[in-house]
Amino acid sequence: MRKAIQKRMEAKKYVWEGAIPLQIHLHESQVTTLPPPPPSLILAPRIGYLPLLVPLIKPHFSSTLPPGVDTIWFEYRGLPLKCQNQPPNGGFFCCRYIPTGVLFDLLCAEPERPWNITVHFRGYPGNVLIPCDGEDSVKWSFINSLKEAAYIINGNCKNVMNMSQSDQLELWHSVMNGNLEAYLRVSSKLKLATIEDEYTSLCSSKSQQGSGETDFTGQVKTGRVPVRLYVWSISEDFDDLEDLSQVDSWEKISYINRPIEIHKEGKCFTLHDAMKSLLPEFFSDESLSDSKLARVDFEDAQKIPSEDVSSNKVVEDQGQNAYEHREACCISSSAEIKLIRIQGIEPKLEIPFSWLVNNLLNPDHFLHICVCVKVPQ
Amino acid sequence: MSQEEVAREAIKHALKALKKRHLVEEGAHAPAYIALSRPIISQGSEWKEKAENLELELQQCYKAQSRLSEQLVVEVAESRALKASLQEKETTIADLENEFTQTRDECSQLKTDLEENIRALELVMSERQELKAQLEQLTIKAKNAEAENKMLVDRWMLQKMQDAERLNEANALYEDMIERLKASGLEKLAREQVDGIVRRSEEGAEFFAESTIASVCKHRINAHEGGCASIMFEYNSGKLISGGQDRSIKMWDTSTGSLSHSLFGCLGSVLDLAITHDNRFIIAASSSNNLFVWDVNSGRVRHTLTGHTDKVCAVDVSKVSSRHVVSAAYDRTIKVWDLQKGYCTTTIIFHSNCNALCFSTDGQTICSGHVDGNLRLWDIQTGKLLSEVAAHSLAITSISLSRNGNVILTSGRDNLHNLFDIRSLEVCGTFRANGNRVASNWSRSCMSPDDNHIAAGSADGSIYIWSISKADIVSTLKEHTAPVLCCTWSGLGKPLASADKNGIVCTWT
Repeated sequence: MRKAIQKRMEAKKYVWEGAIPLQIHLHESQVTTLPPPPPSLILAPRIGYLPLLVPLIKPHFSSTLPPGVDTIWFEYRGLPLKCQNQPPNGGFFCCRYIPTGVLFDLLCAEPERPWNITVHFRGYPGNVLIPCDGEDSVKWSFINSLKEAAYIINGNCKNVMNMSQSDQLELWHSVMNGNLEAYLRVSSKLKLATIEDEYTSLCSSKSQQGSGETDFTGQVKTGRVPVRLYVWSISEDFDDLEDLSQVDSWEKISYINRPIEIHKEGKCFTLHDAMKSLLPEFFSDESLSDSKLARVDFEDAQKIPSEDVSSNKVVEDQGQNAYEHREACCISSSAEIKLIRIQGIEPKLEIPFSWLVNNLLNPDHFLHICVCVKVPQ
Repeated sequence: MSQEEVAREAIKHALKALKKRHLVEEGAHAPAYIALSRPIISQGSEWKEKAENLELELQQCYKAQSRLSEQLVVEVAESRALKASLQEKETTIADLENEFTQTRDECSQLKTDLEENIRALELVMSERQELKAQLEQLTIKAKNAEAENKMLVDRWMLQKMQDAERLNEANALYEDMIERLKASGLEKLAREQVDGIVRRSEEGAEFFAESTIASVCKHRINAHEGGCASIMFEYNSGKLISGGQDRSIKMWDTSTGSLSHSLFGCLGSVLDLAITHDNRFIIAASSSNNLFVWDVNSGRVRHTLTGHTDKVCAVDVSKVSSRHVVSAAYDRTIKVWDLQKGYCTTTIIFHSNCNALCFSTDGQTICSGHVDGNLRLWDIQTGKLLSEVAAHSLAITSISLSRNGNVILTSGRDNLHNLFDIRSLEVCGTFRANGNRVASNWSRSCMSPDDNHIAAGSADGSIYIWSISKADIVSTLKEHTAPVLCCTWSGLGKPLASADKNGIVCTWT
């Protein structure tokens, strides 16, 4: 039994323990000592946030800094790193911090390990970035995300708002420290319903055949899953991920904050289905009924079967999520999803979405999905 | 393939991908990063320097610490010593306190004792006072008793002396009678039998003249104004020299009774006279504290002898050398003068004033008679007292030597005239008379040249003559009206001259 629990927790553990090796260089314009300081080597938790690393980075470089006031910002190959996403019309949900893992998955098509980013202490590009304030603002962002998720799932965020201060702090600290047990302990009080997922148990033990999993049309609640989608649009094709040109501007990346509604009538709701509901324009001639999907081996960077996006499907907006939506009209048939990354892996499209939800959620109860799409000019 | 299987495959694939990711990301890099996150010794040299500095500081701290610990040791030792001394002091204090209480007790004890003693002392003092008074009374009583005693003793002595004198007299009479007997016996024998050598003449017998007992006043001369205190005859001649109150010395011829010479120059009344053996010089003792020596022939003063500080009352000249003069003054001195040298050679000081002087025959001894009644003999060379004898009970007024130089005649104010043997200073005879009162302190008496008679003047103006052999008054000459001051017998045996207070000189044959 223990082993089964372990198996079930395996994926979650991987998610929580995931960390990106960062090699942070001080920008040469701010190096005042000879020899220049060595890069700071930090393991950044995937579920964490870049601003939380500042206390580790700053002391490393503080002795070499030129005199003056510091405002920290990061940059990868020239692109200032947005720590937050910024919905264009503000609104109730203001800036949300982007988890480090998401940034990495998004900006490094071919994962670069260690990830060489550059830190700046001066010359803050105020036109591009919003300043990363500090731990407190990150914490509040996290809590607000939780509220958002609760709203999406339950229709109200009472459970989050009624959380005691100590619980909030404990939750936040469990996120900061990567303490899964503590997180589960506190979050279980929140009663954020998880999607019943029979597949996790299916994979874990084959002996549990008799638990009635054969019935796919089991009681899966019809629920809504909070999702944040990051779409990187590229214009040309590629054979190898390394060939992909660098993300040089945030223009190329769009952010969609929209929940996915799982409604099943009998068959399993796969990732494919989820993506279709999110980005219908890339899945033109797909019917909503289940169809067999050719197995796609993403590891070999095969082309995704191009979908016909002729039919415009207006994706329903749940809630007041404002997102940047590419007009479905006038998209050529060569628009295709090249890459889907969740938590650093590229799952198969057939993978049951409920499994993804149960295992690859970020602590803020959102599923962050990075997508690379080729959009023809 | 069933959907289930597809789903399962997809899940497996996803799990594999997660595992792979884990291996590639944190699995590969975590160890290195954790190792690297350990504090990097990047700034090696700086740290080294810091370390060295800290080491130095540490050394200094160690040094300081060692110094402090040394100091501490010293301080601890000091404090121990102080504690010890403090302890000592405390014990001393305790001891002193004890002592103090003891002494206080003693003191109080002593106080009480003292008070007792004081009381006792006061008692004793009062007793003493009483005893002192008693003592004084007793002392006075004793003194009185002593005085009485003394007086009684004196009277007794006097009585004894008188008895002795009477005895002497009796003896003398007896001896005299025996002598007479012997003499008569010898006469008888001589008459019966004259054999052997009959001495025809004594030495100096040519000069011997039997002195007649003067009885008749031959001359009555007004010699001096104011009184004549001193007369004498020249040696073996009838010339009389007198000195008086009028400061003059006159020389008279007694056969005619006329003035032959006068000597002037004396500054005071003449109290005594002396003439040298060769009759060349006359020496006068003056009341002007001086002595004057005249040359008789020239009549001029040859010497003035000064030195006495009071009146010179007696003078005598040596019969041998005529060079030595002895004088006695009322300054309690007897001076011996050397006329050749011209000054005083010896001064004898004696507490009792000398009234009369006389040289012995050999000129070596002086006989002096003193106010205390003693007769004294002095050696002229040394000035030392040879012997003394109590001659009279009152002052001696006159001393004269017998012709043979063995006997001294002394007269005293006790109205006695004594004869002393010069060698033994024993009384040979005592002479007195009822009416005979010695006139003054310097009344001179004399012996006849035959050493048998004594003549002395009296205050009533009469002259008494005793016979030595008869030891009795032979005759009384009355002529003078004033007290007779002096008398002298001529060396020829006659006349006898006397002078009185009025200055009248009478000669008697």
